[in-house]
Amino acid sequence: MIDLLKALTGFAGCAVAALLSATAAGAQDPGLDAWRGIYAVFSHPRCANCHVEDDRPRWSGAHYGRTRVHDMNVQRGADGLGNPGMRCTTCHQEQNAAQRHGPPGAPAWHLAPAEMVWWQKSSKEICEQVKDPARNGNRTLDEIALHVRDDDLVSWGWQPGTGREPAPGSAEETYQLLRQWSAAGAPCPAD
Amino acid sequence: MTMATLGKIARRTFLIGTGLVAGGLAVGYYYYRKPYPNPLEDELAEGEATFNPYVKIAPDNTITLIAPRAEMGQGVSTTLAALVAEELDVRLDQVIVEHGPAGHAYANTTMLEEGVPFPHFDESTVAELMRSGMAVAGKFLGLQGTGGSTSIVDGFYKMRQAGAAAREVLKLAAAKRLGAEPGSLWTSDGIVTDPASGTTFTYGELAQEAAALAPPAEIRLREKSEWKILGKPQARIDMRAKVTGAPIFGIDVRLPDMLFATLRMNPYRGGPIASLDDADAMKMRGVLKVVKVETGIANGYAVIADNTWRAFQAADAVKAEWGKGTYPPDSAGIRQALEAALKEGDASYGRDDGNVETAFADAPRERIVEADYGVPYLAHATMEPMNATARLKDGRLDIWAPNQMPTMVRQLAAAAVGIETADCFVHTTYLGGGFGRRGDVDYAIYAAIVASKTEGRPVQVTWTREEDMQQDMYRPAALGRFRARLGNDGLPVAVDMRIAAPSIIGSILPRYFPSISPIGPDKSITDGSANQPYTIANYRVGGIKAPVSIPVGFWRSVGNSFNGFFHEGFMDEIAVAGGLDPLELRRKLMAAYPTAVNVVDKVGAMSRWGEKLPPGTAKGFAFTLSFGTWVAQVVQVADVGGRIRIEKVWCAADPGQVMDPAIFEAQMMSGIVYGLSSAIGEEITFADGAAEQSNFHDYTPMRIHQCPQIEVGILETAHRMGGAGEPGTPPSIPALANAVHALTGKRIRSMPLSKEVEFL
Amino acid sequence: MTLEETTMKLNVNGSEHEIDVETEMPLLWALRDELDIRGPKFGCGIAQCGACTVFIDGEPVRSCSVTVGEVSGAVTTIEGLAADGRLHPVQQAWIDEQVAQCGYCQAGQVMTAIALLEAIPDPTDADIDNAMSGNLCRCGTYPRIRAAIKRAASATAGA
Repeated sequence: MIDLLKALTGFAGCAVAALLSATAAGAQDPGLDAWRGIYAVFSHPRCANCHVEDDRPRWSGAHYGRTRVHDMNVQRGADGLGNPGMRCTTCHQEQNAAQRHGPPGAPAWHLAPAEMVWWQKSSKEICEQVKDPARNGNRTLDEIALHVRDDDLVSWGWQPGTGREPAPGSAEETYQLLRQWSAAGAPCPAD
Repeated sequence: MTMATLGKIARRTFLIGTGLVAGGLAVGYYYYRKPYPNPLEDELAEGEATFNPYVKIAPDNTITLIAPRAEMGQGVSTTLAALVAEELDVRLDQVIVEHGPAGHAYANTTMLEEGVPFPHFDESTVAELMRSGMAVAGKFLGLQGTGGSTSIVDGFYKMRQAGAAAREVLKLAAAKRLGAEPGSLWTSDGIVTDPASGTTFTYGELAQEAAALAPPAEIRLREKSEWKILGKPQARIDMRAKVTGAPIFGIDVRLPDMLFATLRMNPYRGGPIASLDDADAMKMRGVLKVVKVETGIANGYAVIADNTWRAFQAADAVKAEWGKGTYPPDSAGIRQALEAALKEGDASYGRDDGNVETAFADAPRERIVEADYGVPYLAHATMEPMNATARLKDGRLDIWAPNQMPTMVRQLAAAAVGIETADCFVHTTYLGGGFGRRGDVDYAIYAAIVASKTEGRPVQVTWTREEDMQQDMYRPAALGRFRARLGNDGLPVAVDMRIAAPSIIGSILPRYFPSISPIGPDKSITDGSANQPYTIANYRVGGIKAPVSIPVGFWRSVGNSFNGFFHEGFMDEIAVAGGLDPLELRRKLMAAYPTAVNVVDKVGAMSRWGEKLPPGTAKGFAFTLSFGTWVAQVVQVADVGGRIRIEKVWCAADPGQVMDPAIFEAQMMSGIVYGLSSAIGEEITFADGAAEQSNFHDYTPMRIHQCPQIEVGILETAHRMGGAGEPGTPPSIPALANAVHALTGKRIRSMPLSKEVEFL
Repeated sequence: MTLEETTMKLNVNGSEHEIDVETEMPLLWALRDELDIRGPKFGCGIAQCGACTVFIDGEPVRSCSVTVGEVSGAVTTIEGLAADGRLHPVQQAWIDEQVAQCGYCQAGQVMTAIALLEAIPDPTDADIDNAMSGNLCRCGTYPRIRAAIKRAASATAGA
């Protein structure tokens, strides 16, 4: 179990290091390189599992087998905070439950708004969506960078609790990547 | 089946029986007839009188009935009390119902009777003799147990007799006071009335005098037409407690000065402790002790603390290294062992009609249907995790446990701490689910051992869900290999079935009675395949004990839980191959058993079988006779965007007589949900010797949004009485698999179905 | 959040309790083993089964997965429902439909059903599924749970 975690975090760490060094080395397009780092975060299960199209969050990770629909018939509900009788906060508190396989937690646990869907979308699709105020919560790129750095629920992706693979890098690193990407004109990949 | 075959099986099988009752049978007929002492006599309150092991009455007319079977949801406490109340002439809302102490007087003889290797429908003399022989053995063992869907069958005569006998002596006592003829007196609602004088006595007023009187030698039990309570739905006596969260379960037991503990046993089942380091655990708040628990069942440790959660935390902090068990460490290896047994093992034939070998020898290839089936290990996953509370003080052991086997708890827990059985007292709480899991008694033995380390303080030992899942006594995995030869009319002229599974009795006996060797065939391996009321000229069903030592136990409907799927899945394949409607196939093959045809017809009518269905929906059918109850089911499924929704289940059941139709209906629904639940996603797999599943995120029972509508139809045409708790389960699984085939064209022969199709 | 032991106040069913436990102790175990409030049952310990459901400030919460330190509002358990010995209408509906079998999950089922009905007084089948799917029952009482919720809904509507 511990070995598995090490392997997972080790892998993720390497991926980020590689991305960051590629950026630092100034490969052919620093904007696209930065985006690749951002995409690695946004498409990571800790982030993408709650940016879903069908109103049903996903489970994935070492103890859940392949990615699957969150059990218990969990759904977005009218306000994105679950359904009457079974709210997100019925199980998810403000911090991760300590017990193994217990529910993760962060303040205001909820699904991403319906228009901010990117689970299983391509790098290009997510990239274009992030720049589209109609589908990014009406944010400027700077606001997005700050949101990623400062939002408690987003931050959870890097501290997901025991037994879950964290998103690559850190909130601060992702913030820096967003700034670099924005400074480079926020280019999107061709596919 | 010929008499010669029967005799051979009977002798071989009875070896198990005689082993179990060694020393008992020799005592002879007289002892068998002599009643056990009435255990209530030791525990009467001031002024209270007891008439027999089932009835206590206090002077204030508080009437207590004993329902000596575990109430694990099946409604048995209500229906057993109703049996007594019907004859005692009291209302159910007027009585207190208690489980009562562990006592040989409460032996479940029916449970052992149904252990005989004969199909339920075989009423030949030899079968009847064997049944009564096993009943004798049951009484010798004094085995008080709840299982095999036997409680009501077992209690049907003796509980009504108990009520009638008490009523008659109450009338005798009143008659003496009045100088009247007992026959002239009336009884109702706990009162004796003399209609001539208008005088009335409450039962409580008469109880002391009445209890000293002998009941008449012969008492006529009331006819069904005279029943006021039986046969009608009753309000369950436990309902109010259960909707108010009352502290009635094992984990709710509280005693003065009680400690809280939990266990961690070697996950490689049966393996030893290699090393334990409790240094960190002992530093944690509230932790009193870490003790080894080493038994013939499992080895591990317990943490004793002042709060259950602190015990859980500290148990995580103990560093344990475990030795290996004796079975293949992973699912692939286990599967290989099962496959080898299926291929090469010696089969015991639970059924061998005609000559199967000859029938297949000249069969044209295109008339043969062949298929391999398989099912995984399954956990019981009762909602209340295993637990027991024990106190060992001044040579007396008290055990409070949700359990299905109180006399076994008493004997084995006492032995585990080195005291006499007579010095152990078992208090059976309500059970937060049983499903057979609490027919094992490991949790009680461990609690007794933990209590032997607490200097007389009571200790409640609660398992975590993870421990409950990983230390279960699983439903065995099983493999089946089947072939059929079809005649020109599409009906099978020969069916040959081979089924390999680890033996349940071969697992249970060594863990509790290591001196008894489980020889002879294990009937449960073919239960549900070898004993179905089909007439096929050449029909052979062989069971092979697969040598895999992962602990296995009774899981709701036992062998029927997989044989129902095997037999009825394969029958559906035969119907498809022969171009016959599945119901029509059954009507023809079961024509000799009108009860079977009745339930097939009934479920056909209920479900409007054969009518055109909306696109994207389909139905499947299955039939299983188990525990004396004949059950046919139809499951309807629908394709919802590539995922399958189970929409509806129709169930027709004939248990002969129904004591409480609402409770019977609930039991059918319950059995169906339990079966479907296993089919849509339950599986225990192994890696490094340990079960890979640990909690409800990876062992996923059915939830309400997956639950179909269920409609139950009851018939009462069978002439022997059957059970309720289990017979709903076996046909639900193949009926679903057959419906999935009808919907998708996929013939899924391996459980759970969710490995090949996705359910909502 | 500090992990040290402190004396904390918990308001449960209208009574103030002072308990000396670790802040990270799950509420369930503080209720059961410290305060002797045993209506919430232990089923899984990881918010998978719902048997331990309580209300905190009226909202349903799995008490096994909220720590004592996280509880800031008033806790209501199933023991706190009945007023003057009268059952809550949902409990009465449960009795009228004879829902419970083993009964172990039912305290949690009743609590969740009440939360549902307070938000949606006349729920559809889908509303029932959406609210109740976090509460496991191994006895298969689901069909009667549906019936009882509908009975409670119409009882309230008729009142």
